Amino acid sequence: MSRKVCIIGGATTPFDYGPTGFESIEGGAAECIKETQQDISGFSLRDLDLMIYSHFSVHFSHQLAPEWIIHDHLGLVGLPHFRVENGGNTGGSALYAAALAVMSGHHDVVGIVGWETMDSVSQSQGSEFIAMASDIRYELMVGGIYPIYYAAMANKWMKENHVTEEDVATIAVKNKNNAMDNPKAQWYRNDHRYITVDDVMNSRLISYPIKKYDCCLMSRGVAFLLVCSEEYAKKINPDHYVTVEGMGLSSCTIRAGDRLNNPGWSERYGPGYPGMTEFAACRNSAEQAYKMAGITDPLKDIDFGEIHDAFSTSEAQIYKALGLADENTIAKFIRDERTSINGDIPMNPGGGLLGYGHPVGATGLMSTIECYYQLAGMIPQKHLSKKTEVPDPECGIVNSHAGTGTSISNFILRRP
Amino acid sequence: MTVTVVMKTKKEKFADPPNFTEKKDYRPSDVRETGFAFVGHEISEDRTTMNQFLHYDQLYTIRHGWNSKFFIGLLDGKIMGTRCPKCGDSWVPVRTHCWNLDCNLQKTEWIEMPLTAKVHTWTVAGWSGRSSLKRLPIVLVYANIGTSKVAMANELHGLNPWDVEFGMPLKIVFKPKQQRVGAVTDFHFEPADFWKPSPMNPEKQRIKDLVMPVYEWVKTLK
Ligand SMILES: [Zn+2]
Repeated sequence: MSRKVCIIGGATTPFDYGPTGFESIEGGAAECIKETQQDISGFSLRDLDLMIYSHFSVHFSHQLAPEWIIHDHLGLVGLPHFRVENGGNTGGSALYAAALAVMSGHHDVVGIVGWETMDSVSQSQGSEFIAMASDIRYELMVGGIYPIYYAAMANKWMKENHVTEEDVATIAVKNKNNAMDNPKAQWYRNDHRYITVDDVMNSRLISYPIKKYDCCLMSRGVAFLLVCSEEYAKKINPDHYVTVEGMGLSSCTIRAGDRLNNPGWSERYGPGYPGMTEFAACRNSAEQAYKMAGITDPLKDIDFGEIHDAFSTSEAQIYKALGLADENTIAKFIRDERTSINGDIPMNPGGGLLGYGHPVGATGLMSTIECYYQLAGMIPQKHLSKKTEVPDPECGIVNSHAGTGTSISNFILRRP
Repeated sequence: MTVTVVMKTKKEKFADPPNFTEKKDYRPSDVRETGFAFVGHEISEDRTTMNQFLHYDQLYTIRHGWNSKFFIGLLDGKIMGTRCPKCGDSWVPVRTHCWNLDCNLQKTEWIEMPLTAKVHTWTVAGWSGRSSLKRLPIVLVYANIGTSKVAMANELHGLNPWDVEFGMPLKIVFKPKQQRVGAVTDFHFEPADFWKPSPMNPEKQRIKDLVMPVYEWVKTLK
């Protein structure tokens, strides 16, 4: 019988993009751990029995095995460590690995450090580095960067689901404006303004139907998350821990065009699915997580989420993949603002990737940490006000997403 | 117990290396592998923060191995696909083993595809990676080539960006032979000769409004 997995703390550095950098990666990791210790006074580095490092691209870190620098700096020699890399789902996959380690009974207290330093190259060079996670033999040189692949998928999805540019713009507005209540968020630290749907509609074309403000931010940032057994959670942080009730991890093709007629999906969900529009790995991993957590009606059973809004369009696509709406209801679901902080299932109250930022290896951890803060009642001390606090949440979903939907994980977190 | 040691007089190889007889080098004259070099730094006025500029570039060898026929085909102005002899599925981009689990990694056979395709989905890019910026705006389509079960990404030329539409018929156009490099950039899509754009509509106008500033911005690039 596998053991319960708990999350008892975590913190991020501010996420930012700048030519100066505001800390070294190992310094950032140290500060994240110290902030976590302020929240959990009983937590000592000596309690850790495994460290997992979550980092996407050594192109950005201009250093192979950069986790060795961090691990060494933290004084953790002798402790087992390894790095997880799984594209944009690196953070989610690192959490998956940590949870497996605790579930198995082999480890009790697992730390995860995630980071990315995307400001080490120019934005357009950075886009090209990320595009190296597409199939470079076929897709990289044909004008291909990720926003363009996503735009091609979203364009068809929006038409098939009767979702307009204005509809998805409301998602960008929601998340960036939520980030204005979060002092660590990149949108708060840089652009620092509330925006409207018109601002999104009038921002420059990235790739139709995606405009600049529909896109997440390239970031520098570090995050730390503490995952442990129930026994340790009850001992160290009895009043502020949450449980990982469900988790799922699934996969899809690297090239989005290979999702047409794919026999692996046809045998699961019938012919024609997912095409180039649906995130099958999101649906599949959500189904795994729901089953494990005993969730039968996600809209009713889940109170809020921190999900992978790399683009406003993908947040809308994720709503559908999570089973919150179907093709007949998704447009109305968005227009009714069900996912705003005052809605019945707020999404990305922490700002999401669109507002908080997307330093790839740290991103999934950031989403988990924000979800944890909400469930542990810590938003008033972490955000600037209670404006972005979900009222009395019992259950949250964390979603981490890679490639063009190539690897996706979902986690159900609950108050004990 | 006796141990017999067989001394080999000649080094034996387990596989014959390919004999590369056709070699082309078309790198620009200013591209050099310089290795690692620190090429500059900057220090803040209060001397608390330093940035250092590291430059390196590397020559990679992409060994196409069993996929080589596709890329050699491009040099010859052909689109080579593969087909599973068991289930009949065919693909461009190619798969050297069938994706159908029932076919249990069946090795596929090569087929030449017709130079026609159909748009599955599309987008009009106003921003891209560093090496593509000057070609903006770019119409990128995913299209099914010939009998391929999957859609392949490439640029669509030969129309106003706002005129692209779902399901439109395409032809594949190759660069002149001497300009080809054996990469997917050797070809692009163009509308089929019989295709005519539909009249202007609100969505096309919206795309046109978004795209016009991109033309202006590209002119400012050095
Ligand atoms: Zn087959």
